Amino acid sequence: MALLHRGIHRLGYAWIAVKDSRLLKTREFYTHELGLLETGSEPNRVSFRCWHEPYKFSLVVEHRETPGLVEIGFHVRDDADLDAFQQKLILAGVTVEAAEANSVLQGLGKSIAFTVPAGPRVRLFSTMHLLGYVTGYEGPDWVAPKSLRNTAAPLNINHVAFTSPDPARASAFFSEVLGFVMSEKVVDDTGKTISSLLFRMAKNVGGQELAIYPGKDVKLHHVAFTKEDASDVMADGYYLRSDGVTMDLLGPLRQPYGNTFSLHFHDRTGIRLELCAGGRMIEVHPEVQPVVWSKANLREALSYYDDMLMPEEFFLPCV
Amino acid sequence: MAVTRLNYMSMYALDLAASEKHYTDVVGLRVTARRPGQVYLQAHEAQDHHCLILNAADRAGIEHTGFKVSERSDLAEAETAAKDWGLVTRRVASGEVLGQGDGLMITLPSGHVFNLFYHADKVGYSYGMQDPDIILDHVDGVSPVTHLDHALLAGNDCDKSVKFLMEALDFNLTETIVAPDGNPSAFFLTTSSTVHNLAFAPGPPNSVHHIAFYVNDRADVIRRVDMLKHKKVTTLDYGISRHGIGGVTTTYFFDPSGNRNEFQCGVYEAQTIRGSVPPIVWAGEHIPRGAFYYENAISANFFEVVT
Repeated sequence: MALLHRGIHRLGYAWIAVKDSRLLKTREFYTHELGLLETGSEPNRVSFRCWHEPYKFSLVVEHRETPGLVEIGFHVRDDADLDAFQQKLILAGVTVEAAEANSVLQGLGKSIAFTVPAGPRVRLFSTMHLLGYVTGYEGPDWVAPKSLRNTAAPLNINHVAFTSPDPARASAFFSEVLGFVMSEKVVDDTGKTISSLLFRMAKNVGGQELAIYPGKDVKLHHVAFTKEDASDVMADGYYLRSDGVTMDLLGPLRQPYGNTFSLHFHDRTGIRLELCAGGRMIEVHPEVQPVVWSKANLREALSYYDDMLMPEEFFLPCV
Repeated sequence: MAVTRLNYMSMYALDLAASEKHYTDVVGLRVTARRPGQVYLQAHEAQDHHCLILNAADRAGIEHTGFKVSERSDLAEAETAAKDWGLVTRRVASGEVLGQGDGLMITLPSGHVFNLFYHADKVGYSYGMQDPDIILDHVDGVSPVTHLDHALLAGNDCDKSVKFLMEALDFNLTETIVAPDGNPSAFFLTTSSTVHNLAFAPGPPNSVHHIAFYVNDRADVIRRVDMLKHKKVTTLDYGISRHGIGGVTTTYFFDPSGNRNEFQCGVYEAQTIRGSVPPIVWAGEHIPRGAFYYENAISANFFEVVT
């Protein structure tokens, strides 16, 4: 017998749709401004990874007439996990579509996909094509490649935020069926969850792979990427602004909800992105207690600096 | 289901009061409990009862290491596995370690004693768990350490301990140093998404090279080196540095008993599915740069001094 880490191991990718018929603006923005590495293209679709990531992609961008979130992918340990989740999902009354390797996205192994109640489409996969570390395996300089310097060049994808008409329901499903742990939540006067941050990874800049915000429909709020620290996030803001990138909210902010130092901005098609540092390293354990925010203190929870920030506006989806 | 993370280090202290002062004033931990001959401490952004136990003793070094598991039944499974591997185990009663539930002690081939347990009492983050003001009153240019990040243990037969931890407890190897004879000599292991919860290097049996505390910002490492110098605490020869291994920003210093401490910042995200990504290898000419990136050399006695 041996103990094994089972279930979801990491946030694999965000798959988003943009209105950009030849994906030229997308390629230019995500490689030269955000500083990701382009790793593949298929008709109407391009994939990227961050420089510190060994796998083929963490962001897939596709041209569609209606922009938004296509799906979120999570990496499970193996095919046994896929089978176990499939049974669990069917018991929870969810329709599951199974897919063979490379049938959905090039480089993606065997997978199952489903729609979370009051939430987004999620895909669990057991393998992804391993490109290997760009810095190599033998005595690597863990430094961003030269071609990416003076871009933001985040190290990893950090989390995906989406709006939900029933955040309590979506949050409970992710916790109970998919094994996520809650690091923080916002409750209304009756104690009902109106927003939550969920994780499966005990990482630095941790505490969330998913952020669930209140909203009319299930829509993309933002995709966040990991930076080493707050000063880096500030400097990235100079480069982005000098190239005319639109900043969101009131510039850089310390966000008590999630404990991050963050910069929100938009790609050339309106997709909201975030660079974040800070966070909290929390273990994946059933006894973890979340930080609880009351709705009355939402403004303070969302920004430590900006008294003018309006929570209703903050929660608006990007496209 | 599995081991979740390094939760605490139980260390010896030659002068308990002096050590307590060091870990509260210099490192910035809070005292969460005491009993005769023992002080329990926790970092600012960790919610469990403690990350450090100081034990009054006539020696320095490590008493035991605490790791948490994610299911109660894991303890029985780990006990079976340890016995299959011929390791000595002992059941620990709830409360034997203050603020935590029952556990299973396993003595590894390198002599180190691990306590696996499921439950820890919660003390919460230092600013509270409800509508917190995340900036503390007493922050004065030096942000507090957030949590215990990792420990580097030293011993002989480390490779045997590593083999057990990987094969029986599902620790994953992220980086390794390979000796001139071609055999791995140092191992960086994780049970979470950080580059290491635990590392092993050669040394006397059951010893410790350092315990490391995390800060959220490289600027905080800089301010902390300034603070260490200002307080006349003995630091690493190089002041501040970066490890090529893991690419983290670092400084080292010593507690009053001579145990080495580290302040560290770095957001390296490790892969957690054991064997899914090959480990990074540091060998030959790359080793000095792996140890100290700027200096490309290894500080005198850096590997030799352990407690």
